[in-house]
Amino acid sequence: MSRRFACTFLTLLVLVATVIVAWPGHTYATQDRDAIMAGSSAEHWTGTDDLGRDRTVRVATALLLGLVCAAAASAISTSIAAGVGTVAAFSPGPVASVLMLLSDLFLTLPWLFLLMIVRSSLPLNASPMHSAAITFLILAALGWPACARAVYNGALELRGSDWMIQGRANGLRTGQLVRQYLLPHLRPLLVPQFLLCVPAFLVAEANLGTLGLGVAEPLPSWGGMLLELDSSAMLARSSWVFLPIVLLVSVLLLLECLAYEV
Amino acid sequence: MRSIRLLLIGAALVASIAGEPSRSQEVARIPGELVWAIRYDPKTFDPAKVDEQASETIRFFTGGVLLRFDPRSQQPEPELAESWSISPDGRTVSFRIRNGLHFSDGTDLTSRDVAWSLRRVLSPATAAPVAEEFINPQQVTVEALDPQHVIVHLPQRVIGIGKVFDEIAIEPADRPSEGKVTSGAFTVFEYKQGQYVRMKANPNYWKHDATGVRLPYATGIRLDILSNREQEIARFQNGSYDLIESLPPEDFSLLAQKDPGAVRDLGPSLNTEQLWFNQSSHAALPDFEKKWFENRSFRVAISDAIHRSDLAKIAYDGHATPAYDFISPANTMWHSTHLQIPRQDLASAIRMLASAGFVTKGGRLYDATGHAVNFSILTNSGNRARQKMATLIQQDMAALGIDVTVVTLDFPELIERLMHKMDYEACLLGLSNVDPDPNAMANLWRSSSPNHQWNPSEATPSTTWEAQIDKDMDTQAGSPNPLERKRAIDDVQQIVSDQQPFIYLVYPNLLIAVSPRLAGAEPTVFQPGIVWNVTSMRLQGHQP
Repeated sequence: MSRRFACTFLTLLVLVATVIVAWPGHTYATQDRDAIMAGSSAEHWTGTDDLGRDRTVRVATALLLGLVCAAAASAISTSIAAGVGTVAAFSPGPVASVLMLLSDLFLTLPWLFLLMIVRSSLPLNASPMHSAAITFLILAALGWPACARAVYNGALELRGSDWMIQGRANGLRTGQLVRQYLLPHLRPLLVPQFLLCVPAFLVAEANLGTLGLGVAEPLPSWGGMLLELDSSAMLARSSWVFLPIVLLVSVLLLLECLAYEV
Repeated sequence: MRSIRLLLIGAALVASIAGEPSRSQEVARIPGELVWAIRYDPKTFDPAKVDEQASETIRFFTGGVLLRFDPRSQQPEPELAESWSISPDGRTVSFRIRNGLHFSDGTDLTSRDVAWSLRRVLSPATAAPVAEEFINPQQVTVEALDPQHVIVHLPQRVIGIGKVFDEIAIEPADRPSEGKVTSGAFTVFEYKQGQYVRMKANPNYWKHDATGVRLPYATGIRLDILSNREQEIARFQNGSYDLIESLPPEDFSLLAQKDPGAVRDLGPSLNTEQLWFNQSSHAALPDFEKKWFENRSFRVAISDAIHRSDLAKIAYDGHATPAYDFISPANTMWHSTHLQIPRQDLASAIRMLASAGFVTKGGRLYDATGHAVNFSILTNSGNRARQKMATLIQQDMAALGIDVTVVTLDFPELIERLMHKMDYEACLLGLSNVDPDPNAMANLWRSSSPNHQWNPSEATPSTTWEAQIDKDMDTQAGSPNPLERKRAIDDVQQIVSDQQPFIYLVYPNLLIAVSPRLAGAEPTVFQPGIVWNVTSMRLQGHQP
């Protein structure tokens, strides 16, 4: 699958989802209590969920919310990794060791339990949108260390390169060197890292959601919707319950493909 | 080459897994044996030390008892005791033991065995959980007058004392056997941890049917230890299991489509699902919020705005009954039939809030001091029905202009917030009621109790109506007169309905499955449910 195809398909999905969400009529929270687990109809194209909410709107919202939040979390995570890795590479040995030790420490944390603890200590009246933002922020805060190690090694190699020595000899300061020379050279490392983190964060949110600890109701999320697959009784009632998992897997494949092609 | 090696490793792995005996592998049925599943292993087979459901199930089948609670009359009926009586002061309980009783090993059962079993349960060395029900077990004395008469002397009257004897198995004196030698219908025969418990019929069981055939009809019982509900349903469908004691609504509906004759909705169970607001003075909440929750009009308005029939229809697939009271209508002896229930009407809820000083501006509700009304509903993760109810209530509250946040937490964290930190606004949970006697719920209603959830451990009742509940609970606990007890409990029901400290939502219905091959089943919502008359149940085609 080419990068162009993946990019086009993802853009198309996002556009369609945006139109569905913006279309006047059903919202993701509107409950049609007389149409519980309804099948496909002109009113509800892919039926309704077990609370009578339009599945199409919910899946579209989850797709947009997941992509935007995961991309934002990935950008934060990659930025932290770039910052920590670069600072470590351009710092004296002991500082670099401390920073790398810190990132190793983060890598060893049992992130799922940590997420559960942090999530449960949040204020109870945090709105669903806040809960989504906080969930992805936590993911971002925990997702940078592996990338930081890669950036550190890359920056360390670049630090001793001929053109860096040339730049330093020309009187450029460290900040200027990093901005003008280092970061552009680290781009091939940071962009795939960013693209790889997006599907990883989507999956992490889905895992949390299936534990009932992700994005709060009534905001739809992949994890919350995958809960429908938990019971064979639900599976027997409508084939549309498979729509979120099919779409999630498709999005993940497209994102992986994009990262691989880059 | 690499892929061939991987394939070989994979094949070896599959072979090794297939070669291992599976924990959930089915065991062959002995002819005439009844088979079903329980969720987990019994912690003990010693009938005196039972403190959880699985062990209690084993004790019910194996333990012969003096009296047995009859779900039809809701009264304890004579079992090993031929007759029994309580003295007018309630401090002396006398039993006359049946003639010609034997244990499963053929030895005689006399008053000596009865007295020994009772003393063993009362002894602090046994640490029997049931001893607590005597209130002061160390001062209880047991006397065997002759081989047929036993007298129990109590230091004080104990309400519902008859039911306590339903929990004490009579074992051979000085020979406790952990269910192997019993006076009940079955004896423990084989136990494989994590797999099954097998019991066989007691050949000396005292009970006979009307035609003189010795009970039980079944040759034995096998209880598989199986926590996977999908597997349980599959095995019921293929005929390996004869019954399912409790089904979730969605599985019930699925099974009803495939085999409508096998499933039964027994109507409201004794259990309740309820919502309550944190009214504790120690609550980590702003004062204006505490004032909302302490305001009766606010609580009643919230109750009025909740569409309970929708909760029953959507969250329980129609297999629940709207609830307004802490005593289920299934508990006919104690449920108040003349209760004045809230109106369940949005207009009356809005009027009620307006009368309490709340105002609606731009679709949002504000209190008299200008604070927007919003609160969170806490419930436990993993319970889909509760999460659905909370989300439905969220929409019901939106109609009042109240912004509700639904928060699901894992159970330990939820209990921590509820019982220790008091850090929550509203909570949606359920209560399982095993004992139909409301005295068993005294710790929920007494204001001094730590389980008085909306405001635990009050030094003195903070409201006059809580003081009245305390008084009524004292009356029902101390009165020997059943009518007086009923009046006191009716009063508590009316106060709870008026004040709504707990906003009762639904009584989940008891949903069961019984194989059409199983004859004699007369299911009831009272414990132990379907199998209360297991001695009269048999597989069709099997002759005892």
